[in-house]
Amino acid sequence: MEERQRAEEHLRVIRTLMERATIYRAISAPTALIGGLIALGLTSAIWASERHWAQIAPEVMRHISTRGFAALWLGALAIVLALNAFFIWRKAQRDSRPFVSPSMKLALRSILPCLIFPAATTIWFFYDGYETDNELLLVRIWIGFYGLALIATQHFAPRSLVLLGWAFLITAAGMMVTSRQLEYYSTPLVPNLAMGITFGLYHLIYAACVWKSPVRVGSE
Amino acid sequence: MLDFDKLDKAIHEKGRLSIMTLLATRMGWSFQDLKAELNMSDGNLITHLRTLHKLGLVAVTKEIRDRPQTSYALTAKGRAAFQQYLRVLEQIVKAGRK
Repeated sequence: MEERQRAEEHLRVIRTLMERATIYRAISAPTALIGGLIALGLTSAIWASERHWAQIAPEVMRHISTRGFAALWLGALAIVLALNAFFIWRKAQRDSRPFVSPSMKLALRSILPCLIFPAATTIWFFYDGYETDNELLLVRIWIGFYGLALIATQHFAPRSLVLLGWAFLITAAGMMVTSRQLEYYSTPLVPNLAMGITFGLYHLIYAACVWKSPVRVGSE
Repeated sequence: MLDFDKLDKAIHEKGRLSIMTLLATRMGWSFQDLKAELNMSDGNLITHLRTLHKLGLVAVTKEIRDRPQTSYALTAKGRAAFQQYLRVLEQIVKAGRK
């Protein structure tokens, strides 16, 4: 009996250490690059569309609807998630590892709790929140909790990914502190710009930094 | 009936088991990385590493980059011993649940 308890304890030690020692990059450099380009492209498209309509019909305060704005960004998210899944699958195939690896499960266990609140906020936004042009609030929640999700992987993620998380979190916090100033500008200008800077520019910087970084053996 | 003597006594010690586990996760751990991950004293860690090295379970590589650096990795024998140790552990746990 005592030997069994010791064996179980040793298996626990092994599991904990293996989980901790495994490096898992939840966002690959190609995903960050393509995601960043898509985000910047969408920001530019929304900005150009709003500018175009502001010249044609200046009496219309905004062309894109509040829910339309959120739907476009959710569409971009869906594309990037699908691409990320494809890149992870391709790498898993190349390395002869299972797609849903223990490291991926560990990453999902860490990330998912951070995504529940933004998901709930998004649902609320589509039901009620859109009525008060609350994109700024939605965007702050998205940026902040995305940052938290990345930081939640810090025990097994490379440092660069955690730094990216901090950049998102600090930006969201800064946007919260300066709410009054930001709300002065017409919506969706600021939320659109914030999405472009964070999900676009930050991801491109991250991709550029990690593109040529050496891959550690044992990393996924 | 389980034969507990099948358990490799060199590995069946928490400190050495932790070292073997980390070395099994990836190739080439530096002394400093092992120390940081395991929170062991220098003396304790080096003693365990020497024991494992003498038994042929761990290979030591010394190289000079900016400064001299020693890295540790499992040998083929060490990897096989670790896998065998895991199998015996699993048998013990399974037998205890019957």
